[in-house]
Amino acid sequence: MSLDISFIGILIGSIMASSVPLILAASGELITERSGVLNLGVEGMMIIGAISGFALMVITDNLFIAIVGSMLSGVIISLIFGFLTQSLLTNHVATGLALTIFGIGLSAMLGKNFVGIPGKEFPILFSSLRESIPFFGPILFGHSIVLYFAFALPFLTNYFLKKTKLGLVVRAVGDSPVSASNQGINVILVRYCCILYGGAMCGLAGAYLSLIYTPQWIENMTAGRGWIALALVVFATWSPIKVLIGALIFGGITILQLHMQAIGFRIPVQFLSALPYLMTIIVLVVISRDSRKIKLNTPTSLGRIFYREK
Amino acid sequence: MATDLRISNISKIYPGCIANDNVSLQFKSGKIYALLGENGAGKSTLVKILSGVVSPDNGEVFLNEKNLKLSSPLDAKKNKIGMVFQHFNLFETLSVFENLSIDATENNKSLRVRINEILKKYNFSIDLDVPVLNLSAGQKQKVEIIRCLLRSPKVLIMDEPTSVLTEQETEELFISLKKFCDEGILIIYITHKLKEVLSLCDEVAVMRKGKVVSVSQTQNERVETLANKMVGQKLAKIKKKINISKNKDEIFKVKHLNFYSDDPFETNLVNLNFSVKKGECLGIAGISGNGQNELFQILSGEIITPDTSIIFRNKEIAKLNPKQRREYFMAFSPEDRISQAAVPELKIYENVALNNFKSSNFFEKGLVNEKKIKEHSKKILSDFSVNTDNVELKSQFLSGGNLQKLILGRELITAPELLICYNPTWGLDVGAINYIHETLIKINDQEKSTILISTDTEELLKLSDRIAVIYKGKLSKIMPSEEVTPEKLGVLMGGGSID
Repeated sequence: MSLDISFIGILIGSIMASSVPLILAASGELITERSGVLNLGVEGMMIIGAISGFALMVITDNLFIAIVGSMLSGVIISLIFGFLTQSLLTNHVATGLALTIFGIGLSAMLGKNFVGIPGKEFPILFSSLRESIPFFGPILFGHSIVLYFAFALPFLTNYFLKKTKLGLVVRAVGDSPVSASNQGINVILVRYCCILYGGAMCGLAGAYLSLIYTPQWIENMTAGRGWIALALVVFATWSPIKVLIGALIFGGITILQLHMQAIGFRIPVQFLSALPYLMTIIVLVVISRDSRKIKLNTPTSLGRIFYREK
Repeated sequence: MATDLRISNISKIYPGCIANDNVSLQFKSGKIYALLGENGAGKSTLVKILSGVVSPDNGEVFLNEKNLKLSSPLDAKKNKIGMVFQHFNLFETLSVFENLSIDATENNKSLRVRINEILKKYNFSIDLDVPVLNLSAGQKQKVEIIRCLLRSPKVLIMDEPTSVLTEQETEELFISLKKFCDEGILIIYITHKLKEVLSLCDEVAVMRKGKVVSVSQTQNERVETLANKMVGQKLAKIKKKINISKNKDEIFKVKHLNFYSDDPFETNLVNLNFSVKKGECLGIAGISGNGQNELFQILSGEIITPDTSIIFRNKEIAKLNPKQRREYFMAFSPEDRISQAAVPELKIYENVALNNFKSSNFFEKGLVNEKKIKEHSKKILSDFSVNTDNVELKSQFLSGGNLQKLILGRELITAPELLICYNPTWGLDVGAINYIHETLIKINDQEKSTILISTDTEELLKLSDRIAVIYKGKLSKIMPSEEVTPEKLGVLMGGGSID
């Protein structure tokens, strides 16, 4: 029996690890969307983060530089989006889609020389505790610093939005940019900051994939996780805690259905692979049915272009 | 300390329109000033300049002889100019307290103390921790005012503040404004309602087509003299029509109208029953947000409710959509001219064609017969004195009044038996209001019926034969309009009872 329990512990640990990129990207996008900006370029920013993190690791042999660099690259590419949508007033949806396509193409080009290079082992914390405590060990310990950060992030985001002045300003801008501007808030600046923050988190999410989760570079290695993160934000009705729940469900069912496939359940593989998407949507829709709460959480101005009267 | 605000030679030109033409005015604290003018006279542009939202092309603003540079709303704030906009600048999904704390420099605790002091001092009762979207328009306005008061303003500008208020709320507002004035705040009151100017303000500046045409003491003015200054021509007075429909047949009858919605932005309707006689105007009064939107949508067929019975000309029409209802000679004029009644990006004749799919030969074998539509549109433009004869003009370039005339014309040219309109003169100026009122009276004279849902009590009393009040989705009893006074309506609109 103890074998079973420790197996479940390891399973939960691996589920947590697989949901990290979703949590990071979705938490970043959540802040962006809360300010009223719809950035569909999450996938593109993640993949750019993945390749730049991996490339910097190979070139400098320094994981710290790699991680910071991946976030910076996310910031730079989201700056393009910010400049286009906020300064040149282009359509959010079209610009975001273009950003994703651009990111995937650029990463493939940059990544050509990095295919097949083995990654470096990323330091894990408390590895001795992981072995010595049954069940809880593999859940709580032996993870990378990024994972701990990712699991703290939804709570920090929630605190930021609900309790801090800056969070209030972000929500106000997302609610009514015109009113915010008339109150003397620099709407464009706030939105730029939120876009860049979202870019940084997406870059980090990408780097987690290429440096920690599967330490290597493979073309198109984000494999649609950016889109899942986007969907999570919407289905979690812009609540950071529900984003965390959704990411865990998605990660959990992804891992479980892999095990089910391995064991040889008599269910069509296609159905099993579709299961995470289905379940995540169902659960999130069920836990966020309260239409009143949805109204209060939804950024009213989402995706709408704002410009100041002159 | 006395405040002295001086505007000197302000000009602002928009493409195709001179919004402010060399405007100079002077204001001193201790008085309430009215800025009066029709829509498009340039009042709003002027106050936007004063509050830093737009910058003037020319001219200067002086506060206590200090030349102000108002290039952003922040500058106005710093210089203690407070502004309550006509369309509230609030964050609907945030709580009242969050709305007030957003630009505060102090900590939440002391801010709450200060807000409570203001609430107490001016007798405002507002729950600070509910989201703003749950408040009535009057309460929202109070939140705006509190926001200004928190910054201890020298100047307070109110932009058409009573357009959304009940009689009682208006009175309360006036009492507060007089208090502020006594405390030394300079108040500039923008409006196109003449009576308010006379009852509240000390001095009045009238604007027309971007220019200041007169500055005078209100004690020397009367409603007529102000109206003539504002419009620039003599206005014909509309007679209140005589009640002709006492013993006529009921043409339209609604039974058991119920509507339930989960949406916090919508109002539930509870068991509405009413009927309209031939040639009668039934007025439905109420403060906006008490279910008028939902009622209009149900009557027009945009929302179909189960178990409701709507009999029109002896036919059950409750399950019909708006297009089918039009075929039975109903016509509709929704509140929102721009987004519901017309498509602003389409040309005039295209808008005309939109709701006349069946009645005419505009479409042949699936193709558009432009010639016929254009002829028809020209007729509407001239019959309803719309200020253009160019049917190729995009509707968005029509002023509110002309757009409303076009919409009414489009609806009425098919000679419907029943017209349902919702705030037909909302935001229009005196000239256009007069025209539309005349048109609505004419319909009744021709034995056609109207249902007038309106938030303007004066309009209702002028046009309706019978009036009911809608409050929180419930309809009061229906009263003959000669028994109704503005005070009675005000009580009912505020949720009180008059028995």
